[in-house]
Amino acid sequence: MKEFKKLGSLVERNIKLYFKDKMIFFVSLITPIILVVLFLTFLGSVYKDTLLNNIPEGVLIGEKMVNAFTGGWLFSSILTTSCITVSFCSNMMVNDKISKSILDFRITPVRKSTLQLSYTISNFITTFIICFTAMIISLLYLAIVGFYLSFVDVLLIFIDMILAISFGSLLASILSLLISSQGAWSALCSLVSSMYGFLCGAYMPLQSCGDGVRAVVSFFPGTYGTILFRQHYMRGVLNEMSEILPNEVIGSIKESFDGTFSFFGHNVPTWAMYLVMIASVMILVGIYLCITTLKIKKIKHLVNFK
Amino acid sequence: MKKDDKRIIQIEHLKKYFKDVKAVDDISFEVREGELFAFLGLNGAGKSTTINIICDVLSKDSGKVIIGGHSIDENVDSIKPMIGVVFQQSVLDNKLSVLDNLKYRADMYDLTKEEFYQNLKFLTEKLELSDILKKTLNKLSGGQKRRIDIARALIHKPKILILDEPTTGLDPKTRLLVWDLINDLRKKENLTVLLTTHYMEEASEADYIVIIDNGKIVASDTPINLKEKFANDFIRIYKYKQNLLENIKNSGFLYKISSKNIEIEVDNMKKIKDFIVKNADLIEDFEVIKGKMDNVFFKCNWQTTEGVLI
Repeated sequence: MKEFKKLGSLVERNIKLYFKDKMIFFVSLITPIILVVLFLTFLGSVYKDTLLNNIPEGVLIGEKMVNAFTGGWLFSSILTTSCITVSFCSNMMVNDKISKSILDFRITPVRKSTLQLSYTISNFITTFIICFTAMIISLLYLAIVGFYLSFVDVLLIFIDMILAISFGSLLASILSLLISSQGAWSALCSLVSSMYGFLCGAYMPLQSCGDGVRAVVSFFPGTYGTILFRQHYMRGVLNEMSEILPNEVIGSIKESFDGTFSFFGHNVPTWAMYLVMIASVMILVGIYLCITTLKIKKIKHLVNFK
Repeated sequence: MKKDDKRIIQIEHLKKYFKDVKAVDDISFEVREGELFAFLGLNGAGKSTTINIICDVLSKDSGKVIIGGHSIDENVDSIKPMIGVVFQQSVLDNKLSVLDNLKYRADMYDLTKEEFYQNLKFLTEKLELSDILKKTLNKLSGGQKRRIDIARALIHKPKILILDEPTTGLDPKTRLLVWDLINDLRKKENLTVLLTTHYMEEASEADYIVIIDNGKIVASDTPINLKEKFANDFIRIYKYKQNLLENIKNSGFLYKISSKNIEIEVDNMKKIKDFIVKNADLIEDFEVIKGKMDNVFFKCNWQTTEGVLI
């Protein structure tokens, strides 16, 4: 019970530290901000044109549906990237190693495993706060431009978000256990922030990438997380469109906007995507526990804080 | 060291090597309860490594570390609440308020809310923190930050306070404030203080001193005994008759003449007393200057590193 109280206090401290550090907070939001700016400047109209190109001549779909579709696509991109990039940037463990604050906790009676776990939990919570806020904003935006989501869709988006955040915060925690230098961590965060958006198809649909790229990203669990977000943000509006558009057109739109994904020619069903995400999280939990156990045994040999 | 005093820190044959570097090489010492114990040495001598092992931040290669009767190998959980540490550089959270910093650290020691606020009140009064308690740490001056470091080390009322060069870079007023509090706690709470410092005048206030060099203890004793062993006293003669110079030259003493005075190194007090008595008519004003800790420190380190005596 006492250890839980300490864990709670450490988690609270880490979260507070993240939100008080304006620079870290701003850096972690760079990718979503870039996405919004790109959407407002040209991506929005690119999505719109691509969508309308799929519509047969003579068929008219309302502006409301178009906006709901492109808005859903934008926010699915924002959420899928934020779940990973915010996880990496909000990890306070490396900051504590660099500032040596971690030593001040290592001399206390708190268990090393509790200290380690506090970073992962606070990482999850800070990422959740930001992503959940983004999700609420997305729902408000869609309510203004065109809302076609059902309660189940919203619930599934929420579940997708939890899975993606779990994946991101575990991955960030594992890497933060292995890195102690500010330079290495900054480089990793910059790489993740800049590359992840492309790799998961946040900026441009994966469908528009070459076969080689698609084959490579089909091995990334994050790709399936992205497709799940796409499916659940676009399902309602696509259902609405299916009343006026033939099934082939709907299929073509889904394919063009990553509403479906195939693994070497085999269409991956939604349940399989969830399975991939859940399995990835479980594997990361296993790796995290192994590394944490090994590190706790070795930690006193590695420390050099003079 | 008195055998009847309660020993709160016992270090026996402690060793810690980093590959070929012998950071701590078979050292043994004891610290008595309530004692001000100074640990001196040049940078890289092995002071911080020893402290890190005592705090369980660094593992040892061999030897025994017993704190408050508990072995660090068997009962480290009982040891950690006994120790408070002031690190060389502040390790607190710059973006958090002073109060938050103290609260989050205190939470690790299972303090109740009442205990925390009681300790906080005491430290706030003693270290004059009331005006800065709600301020963010990065908005404080160096001296204010150091006071917070000390408050953090004492927030859980430890029995042992480890001060790793605590007053480096502090203004004289803050140094005095820090030492007043430490001395007060030693008197009232029987706080044991393990100090590493580069200020020899601070070390000379210690009850016991250990000088470490290249991971080995090169000298250990009370400051007075160390001064006797390693730092000769001086006789400084201010007013004298010219005949005295001839007598000094003939006496075989080591001496230095400046425009204002003559300094004679005292390696044998009886011999110098006899000399002064014999030349009393030639000496009008003089004083005895006791050997300084600086001399002890340099002599110990030079002896081992250079192989010569100064």
